[in-house]
Amino acid sequence: MTVFEFDHFCFTYPKETEPALWDIRLTIPEGEFIALCGLSGSGKTTLLRQLKPALAPHGKSEGTLQFFGKPLAECSERSQAADIGFVMQSPEAQIVTDKVWHELSFGLESLGYDSQTIRLRTAEMASFFGIESWFERDVCTLSGGQKQLLNLASIMAMQPKALLLDEPTSQLDPIAAADFLAAVKKINAELGVTVLLTEQRLQEVFPLADRVIVLDRGRVITDASPREAGKHLLEIGHPMAAALPVPMKIHGAVANDLPCPLTVREGRNWLGAFLKESKIFYRAIPEEPESTNTDKAVELKGCWFSYEKAGPDVIKDLTLSIPKKKITCIVGGNGAGKSTALGIMAGIFKPARGKVKVNGRTALLPQDPQTLFLKNTVAEDWAETLDGRLSNAEKQKKLQETAELVQISPLLNRHPYDLSGGEQQRAALGKVLLTQPDILLLDEPTKGLDSSFKITFAKLLRELIGSGVTVVMVSHDIEFCAEYADYCALFFHGGIISSGGARAFFAGNSFYTTAANRMSRGFFQNAVRNGDVIALCNKNQNRKD
Amino acid sequence: MRNRFAELHPAVLFLYFTAVILFSMFFMHPVFLAISLFCGFACSAALHLGKTLRFSFRFLLPMLLVMTAVNPLLNHRGATILLYVNDNPVTREALLYGFSSACMFSAVLLWFSCWNTVITSDKLVYLFGSVAPSLSLLFSMVLRFVPRFKAQIRTIENAQKGIGKGADQGSIFIRAKNGMNILSILTTWALENGITTADSMRARGYGLAGRTSFSIYAFNKRDKTALIVLIVMLFPVFYGAFTGENNIRYYPSLAVKPISFVSNLVYAAYFLLCAFPLLFNAAIEVKEHDSI
Repeated sequence: MTVFEFDHFCFTYPKETEPALWDIRLTIPEGEFIALCGLSGSGKTTLLRQLKPALAPHGKSEGTLQFFGKPLAECSERSQAADIGFVMQSPEAQIVTDKVWHELSFGLESLGYDSQTIRLRTAEMASFFGIESWFERDVCTLSGGQKQLLNLASIMAMQPKALLLDEPTSQLDPIAAADFLAAVKKINAELGVTVLLTEQRLQEVFPLADRVIVLDRGRVITDASPREAGKHLLEIGHPMAAALPVPMKIHGAVANDLPCPLTVREGRNWLGAFLKESKIFYRAIPEEPESTNTDKAVELKGCWFSYEKAGPDVIKDLTLSIPKKKITCIVGGNGAGKSTALGIMAGIFKPARGKVKVNGRTALLPQDPQTLFLKNTVAEDWAETLDGRLSNAEKQKKLQETAELVQISPLLNRHPYDLSGGEQQRAALGKVLLTQPDILLLDEPTKGLDSSFKITFAKLLRELIGSGVTVVMVSHDIEFCAEYADYCALFFHGGIISSGGARAFFAGNSFYTTAANRMSRGFFQNAVRNGDVIALCNKNQNRKD
Repeated sequence: MRNRFAELHPAVLFLYFTAVILFSMFFMHPVFLAISLFCGFACSAALHLGKTLRFSFRFLLPMLLVMTAVNPLLNHRGATILLYVNDNPVTREALLYGFSSACMFSAVLLWFSCWNTVITSDKLVYLFGSVAPSLSLLFSMVLRFVPRFKAQIRTIENAQKGIGKGADQGSIFIRAKNGMNILSILTTWALENGITTADSMRARGYGLAGRTSFSIYAFNKRDKTALIVLIVMLFPVFYGAFTGENNIRYYPSLAVKPISFVSNLVYAAYFLLCAFPLLFNAAIEVKEHDSI
């Protein structure tokens, strides 16, 4: 059976001349797991929302869109609500009621089922997801990952035939994201529900998906199996290729005829097969001399902190020094106290004991950029942070310079909430930069950014370092930290466990390290970045030739 | 220990507390007051001992003394004059009335503290829901919103502090402005997030005709037994109320109905009613212990 069928489908937003979706021809058979990818603004969300009429944006559409062989628009509201499940990005805002059981039953109540049926269906779903133990809990006691799992379960309780997910893991940490995607895969494999998922992190999704559809400016540019789609993206050099799984990227950059690996395990097998032919002569990347900087921007000595007087200590005997004019990344699990440590550096929290020495002015970019926006346009919002004594011309000049730096010049007159997630992040960064900090503190800055903007973002950080700013960043994004940081520190249980230059740091960890490092462990000694593995592969190959 | 009484069906609990609190408010007869105060204290202590003791000694006992002392100083009615203070008579009736009102007040407060612990928000939502389903959903959404709002205001405050615009940074004028800004950011955030929540509701069929209201509370055999027992005990108490067993006149002189066989029965019934949570717990404990 065909679940959805697009035929020459076009969609244009009101007052826009360019169509947001152009000539979409897609057939989605029952039971398939489809990953829908593309950069921010490529039309993924617009396409996905077309499939759920209750959420479809206003605009003009042409062509046909069918659901089980019937035009979707002609399906009754009841069947649309029950048969097409939609999970959105924000774990928080999607939850309507205060109790887990009430949330699970919300959709079934809307559909008018009797208590007996609702009891059975919610019980079934709670057991399927293994969440019985939270059944009577208050929603506000759940973590972000648990909340998103609850959102998924409460959609699944309605027993939809198709499940649509719009970047469901973008607000989650990597472990919660993996759990969530595993639950989606379970639904697909065990219940046979058709899944359509938009996602930025291809690394996790590619091994799960049956089929990958890539959108670019509202057009489908690839529609194939993950391996083929990846190959195609690499061949045409599409910016989306930066988001591909690491083994795939490495495979694509090394001349070979072996089949393309998707996961780290397959990557290791591939590397073994590739290197067997040529004996391994070069095992290590030559160590670059570490440019030591003895000037310290921030020094913490023996700091202790807890949020409540009687509460547990979040920061325990933390000693840390941040070198000036460098990028320092603090990595670590959820709830380890990383963000709190950043708050201490920013002066938001005062440690109960210990010394804090900050040499310069700090500014903190919070995790949620929406907590910074105050005015109706980005320009007004930025102007608000400027010194009131400046003349208008000077103000304008400053705004323009900053807008160019964070690359949102054309969006200065938009409302901050109308920007996409990545654009909001940039607007917030601009606002923080306008306070002219000497030390820039970033809390999860790459959350929700697409992979191509991450590269731009890293360049921007480099420029700031060049102009004398110190950057401290807390992140879950190991790949980003390995690629661009000067120093890294691992946070665990309220303190720093290990720290060092980025390469030495990641090469010394066995699990908490990059995919490239996990893939090349045993073959190479200190290859941490993708480029390292590629360089060593090529070097070994050239020697053989 | 599990409180079995608190696990009863919300409707039974609601009926019980409404009856007991109303009786405690209107029955000023000393025997009734004593029963209610004693049982209210015992039930509250069974739910949370430490909190009840703290509340009783820090608040109730001082209040009892103050009210007993203050009433005769302000109120000079009553026939039996004990002494004069500044040429004003202090009467025995006023003293007793002050003491009784304080006891009544304490008993009601203790019962309300039990109510608060036992009838949790979701039980209240359920009770509302059986009368007006949409009201109960609204109530549930408010309960979801309040903790979220609180958490968000803290996040925004910290974010603003991080760029030097906290509500405790700068001169008084700037502080006030920063505080206003935080509220303004919160409002925009709330409106914007409200749209997502509305989308999420619509995506799950909210607004379709024939919405039902589900609850996890089922009326089982034990609830039925408890309800019958309660109603049986209410009858003698009502009978006593109609025949004036609970009446007392404080002014100008004390007057109560003489104690009789019937009045003893009414007292006993009232005691059983007030001690119901404890007796119920004990009964279940014995029953389940025997069955193991």
